[in-house]
Amino acid sequence: MQKPIIGIPLGDPAGIGPEVVVKSLSDSQIYEVCQPLVIGDKNVLAQALTICQLPANLHLVKTPFEGQYTLGTIDLIDLQNIDMSKLQKGTVQAMCGKAAYEYIEKSVQLAMSGAVTAIATTPINKESLKAAHIKHIGHTEMLEELSGTTDPLTMFEVRGMRVFFLSRHVSLRQACDLVTKEKVLEYIIRCTEALRKLGVTQGTLAVAGLNPHSGEHGLFGNEEVLEVEPAVQEAQKRGYQVVGPIGADSVFHLALMGHYNAVLSLYHDQGHIATKTLDFERTIAITNGLPFLRTSVDHGTAFDIAGKGVASAVSMTEAILLAAKYSPHFDTLGTSIR
Amino acid sequence: MSTTLPRIALTPGEPAGVGPDITLQLAHRPLAAQLIVFADPELLAQRAALLGISVSLHVISWPLARKELIPHQIGCLNVVPIPLAQPVTCGKLQSANAAYVLETLKQACQACLDKHTDALVTAPVHKGIINEAGFPFTGHTEFLAHQTGVSQVVMMLATDTLRVALVTTHLPLSQVSATITPTRLETVIRILHADLQSRLHIPHPHILVCGLNPHAGEGGHLGREELLTIIPVLDKLRQEGMQLVGPVPADTAFTTNSLTGIDVVLTMYHDQGLPVLKQQGFGEAVNITLGLPIIRTSVDHGTALELAGTGRAKGGSLYRAVQMALKMG
Repeated sequence: MQKPIIGIPLGDPAGIGPEVVVKSLSDSQIYEVCQPLVIGDKNVLAQALTICQLPANLHLVKTPFEGQYTLGTIDLIDLQNIDMSKLQKGTVQAMCGKAAYEYIEKSVQLAMSGAVTAIATTPINKESLKAAHIKHIGHTEMLEELSGTTDPLTMFEVRGMRVFFLSRHVSLRQACDLVTKEKVLEYIIRCTEALRKLGVTQGTLAVAGLNPHSGEHGLFGNEEVLEVEPAVQEAQKRGYQVVGPIGADSVFHLALMGHYNAVLSLYHDQGHIATKTLDFERTIAITNGLPFLRTSVDHGTAFDIAGKGVASAVSMTEAILLAAKYSPHFDTLGTSIR
Repeated sequence: MSTTLPRIALTPGEPAGVGPDITLQLAHRPLAAQLIVFADPELLAQRAALLGISVSLHVISWPLARKELIPHQIGCLNVVPIPLAQPVTCGKLQSANAAYVLETLKQACQACLDKHTDALVTAPVHKGIINEAGFPFTGHTEFLAHQTGVSQVVMMLATDTLRVALVTTHLPLSQVSATITPTRLETVIRILHADLQSRLHIPHPHILVCGLNPHAGEGGHLGREELLTIIPVLDKLRQEGMQLVGPVPADTAFTTNSLTGIDVVLTMYHDQGLPVLKQQGFGEAVNITLGLPIIRTSVDHGTALELAGTGRAKGGSLYRAVQMALKMG
């Protein structure tokens, strides 16, 4: 079977993106499982190799099919959008915001046409994008617009544990109000569907509780009794493999031990704390609901250490490996077009 | 502590759970203390027989003058007798015994208030059955606050590597925001700071304070409690010289980088900190109540009804709780 081609937009050229990309692509385990293709700028990449003191050759291609995909050669679609005399590492620049956007735009085009199977994204900088007058300053919004989808579903994966979120960027108080039977049921269905698209068809989804100790039967909080339990029961009736609510004290612990194929957390920090505390660097976001597979590092552009060659590539490598892991399944289900 | 050999008052908690089992295990652990168990001696004798633990139970008449020393001896437990209402079957909760559970706590707490004992160590109770019996009860921490006439206490859990304190404990998540008033937050931080100094012997405590909302509110975009409550309180207390870091986003508060130089993480609600601590040191954490006029520590686990009487209950947490209480004196 042919290894999947993973598109890697280079991210903000002034950030640590280029450095973590060249470090990751010096790791032989990447080439064992996929064919990585960078969408970026040749000069920026060459500079990153110098900064990191890595020896790879750069191989420019026009289409993904021309790539060599061997360790020691980095295949690159060169958008030639950086003037090196003006590039300053670690600073907000309109040129870099615009370039970062163009790398993503090109990557999405390739993914939509099926020329690459998945994309693994590197950090972008909101301020740089703003300086470049880019309408969208977040990855997700950009990807939605460029791919014509709405309301994608984010999943985190760390050490094999998968975590979904009933809500994300709302206040904790609002998050509590969003825990309704209808929404929990909707998310059980959406999570199950997202898992199926990733090829995860076995196992049980666990829904976390909202309150301390899952409310202890209504003693402190009744959302479990009034909203979560009825949603889980309704889903079970409809044939979904789901259990819950299970208290946050134990649900992630049990998921790590392999009891569940995923956990639906009920608010942002519930799932974020469980994953990032376990292993910050290996916590990878997967965006479900797009026409293609997309993984992402969860760190930023780290302008304070950009250009120093010290940035850790653990997250980037993990993001590429996860894209490779799910690509075959995603592909065979006919979600992407080749 | 007031004597050379400190006295620990211990309550085994729910009689149908693992509390009596792990209490009996203490009989075979070395302890530089006088250990006094507030329980029904009959219960302990029966459980010991069931578990095959040989123990000699000394029923003492209470209160015992401070000058009378009863050092902990391997294979022995000193018991202040408090009768059960009903005989106990392992794993079977009975509301008839709820009053007994509360009575052991009351007497042990009173012993500390009266300075007959130097610290209180508690094994787990079952909140549900106490409430079922008609006694409103949300937890040891709240109960002891009431018993000792204190309006605000602070629950803290500690492992060898991490301490986590809570601004709110056992209440619905939807009420957390309204409960965290400036007054409460200030009081909690003051108690935490003072007790870290006086009870845990940390002269200059460094406290890492979590935000309430995702990304600690991100400048008010994801909730305003940080701007309206948390930041002003921290600023005020910093002017008094307290070392307070934050509010920081809770999802990265527990990374090695962010914990460097930190003595305790103050979390805004139960599930912000406790799952992390349990993940890191399950069965090894000790629960400490700060802000009480007495020293009080506890296990970090529940009644584990299914393990009672099986011999599979692990007594490590209770032993650590006793050790911690001794250190705090």
